Amino acid sequence: MSELAALQQTFGAAIASVDEAAGSTPLFRSPPEAALARLAVYRGNVVGACTKALAGTYPIVAKIVGESFFEGLAREYLRRFPSASGDLNEFGASLAQFVSNFPHTQDLPYLPDVARMEWLVHRAYYAADTAEGSGLRLAPACALLASSWPLARIWEVHQDDYEGEFSVDLEAGPERILIYRPRFRVLVGAISEGGYRFLERLGAGAAPEDALEAALVAEPGFDLGAGLAAWAKAGVIVDTTEAV
Amino acid sequence: MEPVGVGLRAQHYEDFLARRRDVGWLEVHSENYFGAGGYDLHVLRRLRADYPVSVHGVGLALGSATPETGRHAARLKQLVERIDPVLVSEHLCWGRLHGRHFNDLLPLPYTEEALEWVTARVSQLQELLGRQVLIENVSSYLEFRASAIPEGEFIAELARRSGCGVLLDVNNLYVNQLNHGASAVAAMDAIAPGSVAEIHLAGHLLAPHCAVDTHGDRVAEPVWALYRAALERFGTVPTLIEWDTDIPPLEVLLEEAHRARAMQEEACSV
Repeated sequence: MSELAALQQTFGAAIASVDEAAGSTPLFRSPPEAALARLAVYRGNVVGACTKALAGTYPIVAKIVGESFFEGLAREYLRRFPSASGDLNEFGASLAQFVSNFPHTQDLPYLPDVARMEWLVHRAYYAADTAEGSGLRLAPACALLASSWPLARIWEVHQDDYEGEFSVDLEAGPERILIYRPRFRVLVGAISEGGYRFLERLGAGAAPEDALEAALVAEPGFDLGAGLAAWAKAGVIVDTTEAV
Repeated sequence: MEPVGVGLRAQHYEDFLARRRDVGWLEVHSENYFGAGGYDLHVLRRLRADYPVSVHGVGLALGSATPETGRHAARLKQLVERIDPVLVSEHLCWGRLHGRHFNDLLPLPYTEEALEWVTARVSQLQELLGRQVLIENVSSYLEFRASAIPEGEFIAELARRSGCGVLLDVNNLYVNQLNHGASAVAAMDAIAPGSVAEIHLAGHLLAPHCAVDTHGDRVAEPVWALYRAALERFGTVPTLIEWDTDIPPLEVLLEEAHRARAMQEEACSV
């Protein structure tokens, strides 16, 4: 290993874990005690930046568990799933997996699905504005999620501009949601089983007639005409043949 | 290029979209615009029509010794092609260790080995982008025993060998002077006048164990004094007011920008 690589290995380990810090102090000009204090500044910066990024991506999870609990959760998440990208918008992809195993959130069984939804919302926010390819397509900023929990309602009551009653019926039963971005703001709404199947198949590249067949199997009364009109208006689907 | 710009942050999007502001140019953190689409990129494209824009990366971690995939640089290239920025800059730092990214600007040891390594990385980036990049000196809280080259000489030599420009962060030099005792003026004196293509000014925090480069306050008076010295040495270089934490109303940034501009005019008239 080069001297540069060896130095970064030791310095990096000391930032990642306080347990490794004492062994790194010979690298630095500062006396050991001062070096440890200054290493803690780096450690704080790293944890702080990742926590801020995670809270930005998962505002509802943060609201549900509370700010100080979220900080502890973020610290533990970072330890288990460190950032792998120089782009912090890519940090946090495994939060749903993490909270489903995190002992301290087991009393919030809907939290993993809320995290799944928020990751899809985050991805939709940065997705391409227009679809590639030709024919009837699902817009790039759309996603679908099936859950045992009323995610659309959970999303709605946690929006900053929501002014209605803060109540969620957690017993409302399974729900399918559509995540979409009419222009730049990402929205979440409940969707019927037929609509879900249709858009899911369309998103996977199926021809519209095959997607419709799948939708009708799932929901015999599925009304494609009504769905298409609403989805076209909301930018969920785009017909790229019309644009030519 | 106009003499003074400010960092564009999402909190001020509406201010800039509402009307033309009295500021010469805007600088953004490249990574915030790496998305395929969406609002941030939309705003940047709109503002690019009215202002020169520079893209300032915080995630390439050019001095990292472990192999990189090239994906981050490819995303930067895509952004540069989309926005056609007037300047592209990154930092003299490392941050990636095997599969992990610290998302921080970690200092390099100033050794011949590190200089050769980072020179090759900067040259590679300039080749990929087909243009010169500017490299910024970072603040640091720890100094390495291994460092054998003074900071100013290291960055001057990097510019000479790679052909990169220098993005001189005057606040970072001052923070390092407080933390390590190395003279900020001596660091500036080591850098060739023609190589500095941009100057950064920002606020810092005097924390218990060291000065921390928070970009969360007004530019400190000693940093303004160093800026005057920088203008004398490097001439009227495009200067940016950076503010990244506890972001105030845009007017506060514009006040700082006006002060920088007044100092530039004063330096010119001497």
